[in-house]
Amino acid sequence: MNLLHPSAKVVDAATGETLTPALIDAAAASLKDQPLVFLPMPATVPAVARYLAALRLEKPVVLLDPDTDHTGLIARYTTGEVHPDLALLLTTSGSTGDPKLVRLSRAAVLANAGQVAESLGITGDDVAITTLPLFYSYGLSVLHSHLLRGATVVLERTGLMRKDFWDAVGAHRVTSMAFVPYQYEMLRRLRFDPAKHPSVRTITQAGGRLRTDLVTDFAGRMDAVGGRMFVMYGQTEAAPRMACLPSALLDRKLGSVGQAMPGGAFTVSDDGEVVYHGPNVMMGYAETAADLARGDDLGGVLRTGDLGRLDEEGFLFITGRMKRMGKVFGVRINLDDVERQFPVAAVAGDDRLHVFAEDLSADEARALRTKIADWLGTHVTGVDVRTIEALPLLANGKTDYRALEASL
Amino acid sequence: MTELQRLREAFRSALDLPADEPVDELRYQDNEKWDSLAHMSLVAAVEDEFSVMIDTDDVINMSSFAEAVRILGKYGVDVK
Repeated sequence: MNLLHPSAKVVDAATGETLTPALIDAAAASLKDQPLVFLPMPATVPAVARYLAALRLEKPVVLLDPDTDHTGLIARYTTGEVHPDLALLLTTSGSTGDPKLVRLSRAAVLANAGQVAESLGITGDDVAITTLPLFYSYGLSVLHSHLLRGATVVLERTGLMRKDFWDAVGAHRVTSMAFVPYQYEMLRRLRFDPAKHPSVRTITQAGGRLRTDLVTDFAGRMDAVGGRMFVMYGQTEAAPRMACLPSALLDRKLGSVGQAMPGGAFTVSDDGEVVYHGPNVMMGYAETAADLARGDDLGGVLRTGDLGRLDEEGFLFITGRMKRMGKVFGVRINLDDVERQFPVAAVAGDDRLHVFAEDLSADEARALRTKIADWLGTHVTGVDVRTIEALPLLANGKTDYRALEASL
Repeated sequence: MTELQRLREAFRSALDLPADEPVDELRYQDNEKWDSLAHMSLVAAVEDEFSVMIDTDDVINMSSFAEAVRILGKYGVDVK
């Protein structure tokens, strides 16, 4: 599979190191004997070279967080039997529960790189910068879509709250940046002014719902300098992006995640679930090593687990989740898992987890917050612990989550 | 509480450190809890605590406790 356009460039912002064909060849030689590649994926040139080498050799790659121990996952999925269409395996369900893998075919990865590139109008003149981990599907799709069109990708590791990041944006004349909702909160705190970064023409948003006031705010900031903001919707299971709302329509379709990307289509099932049909849908999940030999289980149809509606022009509005899921800093969490682990009632906020527990002292609440954040592997500000005299109950004795959500 | 104690408290709460942890020598690159999320809550805590609005350049330059002291000085807060 060739995701790499001959004129695409990859450069490390801190070291100046660039990706060369020789680096990919050397990486390919070292991967020759592995049927399946477990690849810790920092945003570095050697890691990108290994990744592209594995894709070129048509060996499935499991991308992993380089800062986490994956001994258990590697032991569980090691196998010599892999399906010939399988290209990429990404972990899902965040840091909790069982680390299921999403099985993506070569065709799905290539299709989505093309869909994203077309929706955003990426050309060889574009320069993207890493703002998200490359083992995370949205961050990875920034790499894919730019390499496909012969653009440049700047590898930056310090992040948007550091001076080094903004120095790299200027030095490399970055044109495009991708952010998840909590990063828009950061940009607001930084009083991000696109006029100070004249090379930046495009910002994108995915990875969860962004408050509509922030959508309007940032679309306005980009519009003021003739730039663009795109709201997008995706899931790792769709390699990952499915819908795109271009900036020209943000006003008229505020709150929508846009229309299906080229080659895709949405339907809504009788019970309100959003179903996506397209060439970028995964082959299925893998829960055991044996599953890596399986073929396509889904036939291009993905039940997203999201509730939503389509308007008469095909614009999708997401209204909720079928299962009790939440997101904390863009990472999906199962609220029932939280409740199994801690004696709390958990509800989802905008990119935060809110938990309620009966009769906690301030110290106990603080300690519990730290424990939950550690367990989730996230920062404490992503977790809010509240004490409550008695949890509200429905007539059937179950927790009244609507009442808890209303009290936020 | 003195300004110095208030700044130490703001650091401990944003970086989720124990109440007695020394923070005066803290630097961004040495502390694994001090990531971009912690940095955002640190800036928010400092702004709230001292009722100041820190400029973008100062936000992205605030890479140590000592630097925070220096930056607050620019906003008329004398931390000692």
